[in-house]
Amino acid sequence: MNELRAVMKDMMVEKRDIYLSVLFGFLAGITAVALFASSGYLISKAALLPPIYTLSLMIAFLKIMGFARAFGRYLERLYSHRATFTMLSELRVNFYEKLEPLAPTIFQKYKSGDLLSRIVGDIDRLQNFFLRVYYPPIVLGFIFLATIFFTVFYSVTVAILLLVGLFVTGFLLPAWFAYKQRRIETRLREERGSLSSEVTEFLYGFMDLKLYQQLGTKKKELEQASARYIDEQEKEGKMATYHQSMNSMVTLLVSWLVIAFGAYLVSNNELDGVFLAMLIMISLTVFENAVPMALVPAHFEDSRRAAKRLHEVVQDEPVKVEPTKSLPVNKPFSLTMKSVSFAFPGEERTSLENVDLHIPAGSKTAIIGASGSGKSTLFQLLLKFYNPTSGTILYDEISQDAYSQEDIWARTNVVQQENHYFYGSLRDNLLLAKERATDEELHEVLEQVHMQDFDLNQTILEKGDNLSGGEKQRLAIARALLKKERLWLLDEPTSSLDAVTEQAVYEHVFHQAKDDTLILISHRLTGLEYMDQIIVFDQGEIVESGSYQELLNLEGYFYRMKQIEKEVLV
Amino acid sequence: MNVLKQHAKKQKATRSLLIVSSLLLGITVIAQALFFVSIVDQIFLKGASFESIIPDLIGLLFVLVARSALTYWNGRAGVKMASRVKEYFRSQLVYKFSKNPLQTSMEGQSGQKVSTVLDAVDEIDGYFSQYIPQVIQTSIVPVMILVVVSMEHIYSGIIMMITAPFIPLFYIIIGIMTKKKSEEQLDKMAVFSGRFLDTLQGLSTLKLFGRSRQQKELIEKSSLDFRDSTMEVLKIAFVSSLMLELISMLSIGLIALEVGLRLVLFQSITFSTAFFVLILAPEFYLFLKNLGQAFHTGRGSMGAAQKIAEALNTEDREVEWGDTSLGRMDVPPHIQLQNVHFAYDAEGFALNGIQAEIPPYSQTAIVGKSGSGKTTLLHVLAGLLPLSQGSVYVDGLARCDLKEEQWFDTVSYISQNPFLFSGTIAENIAVGKKGEVSRESVEQAAIKAGIAPLVESLENGYDTIVGEGGRGLSGGEKQRVAIARAFLKQPSIILFDEPTTGLDLQTEQILQSSIQELSQSATIITVAHRLHTIKHADQILYMDHGEIVQKGTHLELEENNPFYRAMVKTQQGGMAK
Repeated sequence: MNELRAVMKDMMVEKRDIYLSVLFGFLAGITAVALFASSGYLISKAALLPPIYTLSLMIAFLKIMGFARAFGRYLERLYSHRATFTMLSELRVNFYEKLEPLAPTIFQKYKSGDLLSRIVGDIDRLQNFFLRVYYPPIVLGFIFLATIFFTVFYSVTVAILLLVGLFVTGFLLPAWFAYKQRRIETRLREERGSLSSEVTEFLYGFMDLKLYQQLGTKKKELEQASARYIDEQEKEGKMATYHQSMNSMVTLLVSWLVIAFGAYLVSNNELDGVFLAMLIMISLTVFENAVPMALVPAHFEDSRRAAKRLHEVVQDEPVKVEPTKSLPVNKPFSLTMKSVSFAFPGEERTSLENVDLHIPAGSKTAIIGASGSGKSTLFQLLLKFYNPTSGTILYDEISQDAYSQEDIWARTNVVQQENHYFYGSLRDNLLLAKERATDEELHEVLEQVHMQDFDLNQTILEKGDNLSGGEKQRLAIARALLKKERLWLLDEPTSSLDAVTEQAVYEHVFHQAKDDTLILISHRLTGLEYMDQIIVFDQGEIVESGSYQELLNLEGYFYRMKQIEKEVLV
Repeated sequence: MNVLKQHAKKQKATRSLLIVSSLLLGITVIAQALFFVSIVDQIFLKGASFESIIPDLIGLLFVLVARSALTYWNGRAGVKMASRVKEYFRSQLVYKFSKNPLQTSMEGQSGQKVSTVLDAVDEIDGYFSQYIPQVIQTSIVPVMILVVVSMEHIYSGIIMMITAPFIPLFYIIIGIMTKKKSEEQLDKMAVFSGRFLDTLQGLSTLKLFGRSRQQKELIEKSSLDFRDSTMEVLKIAFVSSLMLELISMLSIGLIALEVGLRLVLFQSITFSTAFFVLILAPEFYLFLKNLGQAFHTGRGSMGAAQKIAEALNTEDREVEWGDTSLGRMDVPPHIQLQNVHFAYDAEGFALNGIQAEIPPYSQTAIVGKSGSGKTTLLHVLAGLLPLSQGSVYVDGLARCDLKEEQWFDTVSYISQNPFLFSGTIAENIAVGKKGEVSRESVEQAAIKAGIAPLVESLENGYDTIVGEGGRGLSGGEKQRVAIARAFLKQPSIILFDEPTTGLDLQTEQILQSSIQELSQSATIITVAHRLHTIKHADQILYMDHGEIVQKGTHLELEENNPFYRAMVKTQQGGMAK
């Protein structure tokens, strides 16, 4: 409920549109009631042979009501949808504002990319909150109040009946449905989850299943999971139909009571018979507005879950540490780790164990090791995405705690294994690294990474989908070259490049980084002869470090890895 | 559209049920009006006593309850029909995919297939649970109302008859007029939600470059643009429902005017007739309008149906099997490939005229540049891909005559990226062997594969959950699980796709020694990336462009084949200066 309150707060930004939607919704509803009431009255009156002018007046009224209703409905839809989409924009911006300080740590927590698409989906899902949960009951309330107020002049009994009907169909039944809905939703989600993993395993593990002759069993399991899921869906579908039918039956029963009591009152002369048809028509029409109320619980539950998930994602308070120091500008600095251990939040296994290293200012260091040995984690700690579980990290002999994340990022040229490219021009994607770079500068770096043939105006698709792996890596290096800071953190920056291009690109990088501190995570062991220091990782620990020649002379881990690499033909 | 229609036609029982319940629904709608009219007429005009209308009241009550029950019944039948169809399509898809041998080589498309099996099947729900029942209702109930009204008062019937076609007509006209525009807008909308996702996904990059704050305005601006273009589409939809509303309102008004005039001026009809017509007229138009709404839901299902139909209609060849048994199972068979061809599709990559002999207990290395067809050949050898020409002989018997089960009993395949199923480590190793597998033999296999120390260091040991939703294993660890599977199975043919990149030292050693040990009792065929493996092979198949260009030992090839020589020599290198 709290989560939805936050959503409501965002919603109230569009007060004017909300008022207008309620107003026109009310107008559309009440004119329909008036329309049918007057037609009932008209017929009864006509049966009594009144003077013709009353009839003409009535008919004119009827027409006006008809038009008013149609236009009221139109305007209601227009304003309510406008309000909804403005509200969604507000929600997106607010969500972004909350998410922004938590990045990039939060993305480690939710590694899979589909979490993000779910977030986007959840925000979109909240459009139903205003459209189907929030304002329809308000409109319904107003319509009933007005109708009941009108009815009181003719029959208090009928007015009371309508009031009871409103309570039952607008509140009591939906509340009961909501209670039932919650239970079935949970099971539905569980079954969908298990079907989804069965399907995923079936298709992604197809070859292994086939080879181990488990395809038949898996297929059966999948079909059973599908049957269970469909079963839950069916239950939900039946329940929704049941709720709607139930609600409409109650409204019909109220109309039945209206006619029964009305007839009784007329026969006892407590009510003028000419109004009987009108009251019935009122009852039949006014409850049409209450039928959608049966679906409110489902939408409410859906919105609540969406809001809850959104809330959960951004509920972590960003750790704000006031920096007491700032890193030197335009001057390389040293990096030190003192018995650093680290385990990712929520994992028992440590990713780094007791790491000690010193990287002097202006030195060149290579980090090597098998995948999963903790190399990239080391970078994440150096970039302060995480704080070490124990031990200290120092920049220029001052603890990392003294610096802000932003400061560290601003002073570093980073090339990650996966680098993001945004929809937009190649130029825009490069300018991220240096806002005021001229086209000449951009052309120059493109040439350095062997991409001189690319047009700066070329459109890059989301995630750089129209770029090859090698092109993405070279653009990431181009950004780093543009940024011209004095610390370089390069994580397997050339794994998709051929040897010749790799060589050429490295030449430029090392030329520019001549006096800078540079750490390179390398996927190859070749060409490390010129590094000042090579650090070898295995299972989160440093097993060896030293210069290329020192390590070879040692004939230890590095030496043996080197032997294997010589063996590997790609 | 056609797939769904065809399928809807098959649901004969449900259709007849829906037809019957729609007929009954029509009757209750009419009866309801009759009772209302009769009660009002008696009380208001005829001055009858309350007691005399009690039977009518009871009748009305019955009709109202019946009407709700029938609505429920209709909805329920639709939901059930949708369930059956979904189940049918999903199992058809799974059957289709399970028969598709190319599946193995098209991992890239798996994501799309998952979404077809899950989401596309779910999306056809609306067509069966809402559209079909509504179509049946709309083709029955309004007709019944029309007939009854015409019988009672022909002029109202005529007005209905004339005005009714305008409703579907308007749907069509507006649909045609706005199709292009709404499609444009839909494209824009899709692009927009992609952008927002793009920004979120790139947030880390933005922050590293200190640019994340500026994105806020961008999101706001594009979000509002998105709103405006969405409103463009919606306005069209709203205008069309405004028109429909106006048509039905005008028609109802027209009918009211007509009966009113006849009642007062001409006194040619009675009050009860007029009131009856007046109650039924809105019902008539309501059913027509509901069809329009259901049509939108139905149309949403059609894209999904199209997707399913495409998946089901792709043609593929199956790997053929027979029912002959191999003579001996205790020694590895002699394998012979004779003029084997394979193609993924008409054009594109193919294996051509593969000739090879693989004697029992031999070690064969397949080498060649990437894209030369090494892995495809391994898949063909494994019996995962259908041959388009030629034969594979196993101990002199054509493999297509062998029992599938027996063949796979003899083969193990250790891929570069073995798949872990969600379950415990023990279960994942036990997958290697059919039937009951004792914990002891699983542990034995794990020890041989060098994964036992790691497993035992885990809190839950062999019962640690891995795979989706479980603990992740590194590439090297997965390879070792696959090796353990092979040790458990004790196959006589081992197909091994050697890792292209260096693993950790321990795994490298284990791979070598394990393969060595397994080769004692099996034929080994390796897509080789290690010089060691190649040097020790009894024969090397050097591949290029889907063909075996040369066969021989390492020494022979090095002597005769300059390309092979170059490949072995090129240990590309050099970087930092």
